[in-house]
Amino acid sequence: MNTDLMNSDPHERARVMIALSGREDVSNRERSWLAAHLESCPSCREFAESTRESIRSLRRIPITASARLISTTQMRVRQRALELQRQTERFWVICACCAAVTVCSGVTAALLWRGFAWIGQQASFPMPVWEGGFVVIYLMPAVLVGILLLSRGTFLADHDRSYQDWSSN
Amino acid sequence: MNATACCFVNAMTVENTEIARGLRRRDPDLLDHLIEKYQHRLLRYLLHLTGRRELAEDFFQETWIRVLERGRQYDGRYEFSTWLFTIARNLVIDHLRRKRPASLDSLADDALPSDIPATAELSAFDATVQREQKEQISAGMQHIAAEYRESLVLRFQEGMSLEEIATLTGTPLGTVKSRIYRGLSALEPWVKGVR
Repeated sequence: MNTDLMNSDPHERARVMIALSGREDVSNRERSWLAAHLESCPSCREFAESTRESIRSLRRIPITASARLISTTQMRVRQRALELQRQTERFWVICACCAAVTVCSGVTAALLWRGFAWIGQQASFPMPVWEGGFVVIYLMPAVLVGILLLSRGTFLADHDRSYQDWSSN
Repeated sequence: MNATACCFVNAMTVENTEIARGLRRRDPDLLDHLIEKYQHRLLRYLLHLTGRRELAEDFFQETWIRVLERGRQYDGRYEFSTWLFTIARNLVIDHLRRKRPASLDSLADDALPSDIPATAELSAFDATVQREQKEQISAGMQHIAAEYRESLVLRFQEGMSLEEIATLTGTPLGTVKSRIYRGLSALEPWVKGVR
């Protein structure tokens, strides 16, 4: 048992050993020393007795959780688990959508570019005009979806009564 | 380590691994089981930490919500109870920080008057003596510093080892020992008052 408190006088040492009297913390040699010290020191013996009494009383204090608390907690945890599950599902749906959009845009960009070039040629538009048109048309769906999502708040949030609202009320 | 102790340690490790696996899956049945298993221990710890039943019950619920949300962080290397109590402790400290910049010490004043019950089911003289002892100790617990109270509860009510308490509270082993010693010394007058 190595502690700063052990460096002080024998009474202090004995009291620390009594207070920390877990089996794993005190060696046999220390226990013998403590027993010998208690034999000869009434004040430490009294401390040992009151410590034993304190520990006994501490262990006897009855505190139990009510059935209502347990059922409420279980219900809240289940509800939150469901919300987290829905969030995860939404997250994966959005990931899948992003992947699909990336693939589609990769495939269609070349075709769309050629289409715009052809229209520009037929209508005799200057090159910057049909190129600008291509950029606008190409980015428009993503911009619109972004605006819609932002206007509804985060796309991962629950739009019905969420856990945060429920717990704060 | 003898064979029985070895089997016990292995069983504990397996149980912790199972819990870690279930928490990663956010298994609601496992959580129901854990809530029931640790109900009294967690509430008792929170009640001693906060000193108020309603507050302790709020933290009790929030702790389990946090366990669900952060379950992936538990890897099963430590005892589940140590991790659970650490979450509960951090919640209480966060709450205090939001209220005012403070540490666990400020609970010592907040904790009065105590809601910790001191009832006994025994009859006649023994019941009276025991009730008196519990009332005195409960009262004494509410008057000692919160960090002493916490160490005493973890050590003598929850039966945690000194190392587990040090891990949970994030304090050096020597400090834990000193808190237990000083906590018991601070309780001494209350015990003497009973005798």
